[in-house]
Amino acid sequence: MAGSPRLRELLLEHWHLARTLRRLEIVFDPERCVGLFECFEVCPVDCWHQNREQNKVEFIGARRCIACNACVLQCSVEAIELKVR
Amino acid sequence: MATVFMRWLERRPATYDRGIRLLTLGRLERLYRIIAASVQADHQVLEIGCGTGALTSLLAEVTDRVVAIDVSEDMLTVARQKLDEKELLGHVQLTRMDAMALEAAYSPGTFDMIVSSLALSELSSTEQEYVLRICRQLLAADGTLLILDEVAPAHAYARLLFGLIRGPLRLATWLLTRTTTNPLKNLAVKLRRSGFADKLLAAALGGTLCVYQGKPEVAAGFESVHEQIPRIGHDPNIASRLKDAWALFFRVLPPYPKFEPGLYAIGKPDSDSPVLVTGNFDLTVRRVVRDIEGELDAWLLVVNSSGINVWCAAGGGFLSAERVIGALKMSGIDEWHRGKRMVLPQLCANGVDGNVIRAQTGWAVNWGPVRARDIPTYLENGYTKTEAMRTVDFPVLDRLEMVSATLGLYGLMVLGPVLIFWRHLFWPILLALLGLSYFYALALPLIPGRDGLIKSLPLAFIALAGMVVFTWLTGPMDPLQLFRRGVGMVALSVFVAAELQGMSPLMRGEQANWGWEALIAVMLSVTYWLLPRIMGWSA
Repeated sequence: MAGSPRLRELLLEHWHLARTLRRLEIVFDPERCVGLFECFEVCPVDCWHQNREQNKVEFIGARRCIACNACVLQCSVEAIELKVR
Repeated sequence: MATVFMRWLERRPATYDRGIRLLTLGRLERLYRIIAASVQADHQVLEIGCGTGALTSLLAEVTDRVVAIDVSEDMLTVARQKLDEKELLGHVQLTRMDAMALEAAYSPGTFDMIVSSLALSELSSTEQEYVLRICRQLLAADGTLLILDEVAPAHAYARLLFGLIRGPLRLATWLLTRTTTNPLKNLAVKLRRSGFADKLLAAALGGTLCVYQGKPEVAAGFESVHEQIPRIGHDPNIASRLKDAWALFFRVLPPYPKFEPGLYAIGKPDSDSPVLVTGNFDLTVRRVVRDIEGELDAWLLVVNSSGINVWCAAGGGFLSAERVIGALKMSGIDEWHRGKRMVLPQLCANGVDGNVIRAQTGWAVNWGPVRARDIPTYLENGYTKTEAMRTVDFPVLDRLEMVSATLGLYGLMVLGPVLIFWRHLFWPILLALLGLSYFYALALPLIPGRDGLIKSLPLAFIALAGMVVFTWLTGPMDPLQLFRRGVGMVALSVFVAAELQGMSPLMRGEQANWGWEALIAVMLSVTYWLLPRIMGWSA
């Protein structure tokens, strides 16, 4: 196992992934939001606040976010992105 | 570390060709040539599950209109390299696609030939039949379907013999290359039911590795594959309890216990009853059924997630919108259900694109609660969730369960070397490992810090104290021995903390673990190997 070059590659790739994952953050464009609230529905750590008056969401969970990508995938107007800080 | 190890196991392309050659004892090449020989230069060819492109390159030598699909990006990368080396890349359109998605992607009668080699056997039985029906639809009227796959013998004694011979070979192959296949059952029958006239073109290995030819015969219908929808209920028995025990301690190790995908009835549902979707990890299905049965009548659509829980399957690409759509079409529920509204588990939203399902099926998609036991209340409230239903927590029972689930694997990783090098310390270390793990699981919310090294320090102090007491009880307190054992205990507690933080659903931890583990390896080798050599200490 230890001598396999594949495993070494994998470890390096993993290391890189780990660093990237820690530095991922949500970038939200309120201009694009049309109030479908899918992100609010799917977020497992409650990072989105429904602003009913403006019919938009607000991102309130920068510290809680686990970078699971659910809101990014479900947003049909592409208002949410996960970017490396 | 556990994750890296798992990914290494699942990383197949590197060894896939070798494994397949071994499994088929090298007979594959001849069968590939038979398939390639029936292709003509003007044929539009579809290859389902091209893998590393061994057959694809033979096809591309004959015609320049090959479409090859595979679900694995890694496989496609290898195939692309292989085709590029042979300068055949221009002849092939390589696409990452699930076979389930073919129906939506190509119009009927597109292909003159559809081939598939050792790919159908990776699907469940109902999925195989569904894919064959799609093939029937995509084939031109005078087209040909060629399936090369492992076939289980029809006769019971022959099957027993087959199993006896294949068993050791499969095990050896899996150990060497992490590749294996499951033989197809009743392929000829499935071909006929899907509207093909079947013919056995060639066979090898005593008739267990076959090339079947299918010629379109009658128009293919997409009527439901299930004639009768099976009912499931919560009915624990010895087999399910054994599976639960396996799932409790070795959940992270394949084979994951799988549930046959398809549509099931819970209670006595009718054509207006809610449709609940879940993955086919055995434990998931049984827990959902346990939580629903008696509370409400519903349809349960079990989607093939390769036997993995919905969160990990969706994150790893095993559970996708294509799979859900495939299961929906295959079950036939699309044709008779009146509400046309499905409840997806909220925790598969990281990989299943709800908008794709809405667009392609016209069904409404609702994101259900995190926990299955909240489903009845969620439905009563008209598909609305409270904050608690939406939010993932990590209560003490779950923490204990997760510790047990991962302890099986990382316990082996730690105790293996201990058993070889420090046999006299096996029991104390086993006790320390169990104690630290369960203590950490119980005390996790009380320990300060978000995640990282800080959260493992209290563990290290407890471990050190335990070690000092143990050393004091068992013999004289030698400072050198104390120092070495101290380093070992700190390493152990950091390792345990890193592994356990990795399982928490509330942290990004898992990915970051192995950096610490590398540190532990360095610490241990310095203390036990380098220092004694430099200082001239004796063991």
